[in-house]
Amino acid sequence: MTSPDDLEVQLLALGRSLDVPSPPPADVARAVRTRLEPPLAPETPALETPAPATTPETPTPETTAPVPGTPASGTRVPEAPAVPGGPGALRRGWGALRAGGRARRRAAVAAVAILAALLLGATPAGRAAVAEILRFAGVEFRTGAPGPLPSGVPQPLPGERRVTLEQAREQVAFPISLPAALGDPTEVRVSDGGRVVSLFWPGLRLDEYDGSLHLVFRKELGPPWPQETGVGAATAQWIPVHHGLTYLPRSGGQAVIRPRPAGPTLIWQRERVGLRLEGVGELSRALEIARSVR
Amino acid sequence: MESLTTSAKEPPTDDDEAITRSLAGDLDAYEVLVTRYSALAHRTAAMLGAADEAEDVVQEAFVKAYRHLVSFRRDAHFRPWLLRIVANETHNLTRSRGRRDRLAARLTETVPAQGEGPEEAAAAADQRARLLDAVRTLPERERETVVCRYFLQLSEAETAQVLDLPVGTVKSRTSRGLARLREEVARDLT
Repeated sequence: MTSPDDLEVQLLALGRSLDVPSPPPADVARAVRTRLEPPLAPETPALETPAPATTPETPTPETTAPVPGTPASGTRVPEAPAVPGGPGALRRGWGALRAGGRARRRAAVAAVAILAALLLGATPAGRAAVAEILRFAGVEFRTGAPGPLPSGVPQPLPGERRVTLEQAREQVAFPISLPAALGDPTEVRVSDGGRVVSLFWPGLRLDEYDGSLHLVFRKELGPPWPQETGVGAATAQWIPVHHGLTYLPRSGGQAVIRPRPAGPTLIWQRERVGLRLEGVGELSRALEIARSVR
Repeated sequence: MESLTTSAKEPPTDDDEAITRSLAGDLDAYEVLVTRYSALAHRTAAMLGAADEAEDVVQEAFVKAYRHLVSFRRDAHFRPWLLRIVANETHNLTRSRGRRDRLAARLTETVPAQGEGPEEAAAAADQRARLLDAVRTLPERERETVVCRYFLQLSEAETAQVLDLPVGTVKSRTSRGLARLREEVARDLT
């Protein structure tokens, strides 16, 4: 009864009799869509510090029903220094850990990876693992042995709003560049009081920000190291692998936004505007897009 | 990038059209794809070890698939491409938990075959349960290929793509797995 064919037939029959409970497909489709749709108001961050005080300089939208503990009350940790990544950032990490209990169910998957990342960053050993810090075009690269890649869905930036390109041009203080190679973006968002404009095409994201004065993003990198390249005459940095990305709000060095996983990214600067193009897997294509920026 | 075409207005009928329109940012079209593959994606995640977190894995996989849709080769099939993302997400989860992945599924009450008495039905159910146990105890590599080939009913080529293995490896792991199952089943019967 266990002749070869017989066993394969039995396995197929067994497979058919196995039940895997799954939610109604329409519900799954709706949930996925909700996560893909550009949020008009930020969804609840999974790991968010408790919010005792608001941050006036971060105009966070409260247009649609803010959930308790949303960045509507952009958190301040009093001892957080202005320098990103200082000890305050580490304490913030612990705050986020304590607040982890409020994580939504879906975010629970991400939580363990993030906890591990925060723990790594919070211990002396974790700090020692940061071998080099490179600052370029408003982005701080921390190279070393990063913790596990943060997982989960990107949260919106503070005050992220969906706008038209024309509205965006009025709301940001720098000229918005458009890559001709991609055509019109399918979506435009402005965040943090006009500090960052994000253009979207399916699978691609181009963030533009004033990169001349302050750090806007921090990237946690391990090998392979960023590769220096060039867009026209300007230097550019290419990060070929997925890495952790943290947004550093205008209000100070503390990032209330948890790190998110970011895809391969090209970073360069056009005059004072920093640009980060995310989602192109190949450097040649990324450069092609970058060179087409007008 | 040439696939950034304008979206049509009718609901998409096949994968290809749904993908073309999703690439153009049409989330209605992508919902159609999600709906179509949701059950299979859950089954894949659960059987490859996501256990009770299959729902999270599947959502994440669909979100990632959408964001990486530009890298999908249009002459390929969507199903194994998607399931590979599901499999990767499942592996990431089980690795991050440092736990051995489990095959999560339960046997359903099956309708007894025609002319099958209660006794035979019970024996058949028992046999299925023992076979499932045997599959569960297979070494991970062999179990994965057996799960893909027989429980998910994927072809050898699809299994190769989903597990990111050469087809030859799929063949050899499957046959090793089958040989081991045969031994186990034979041992149970003695």
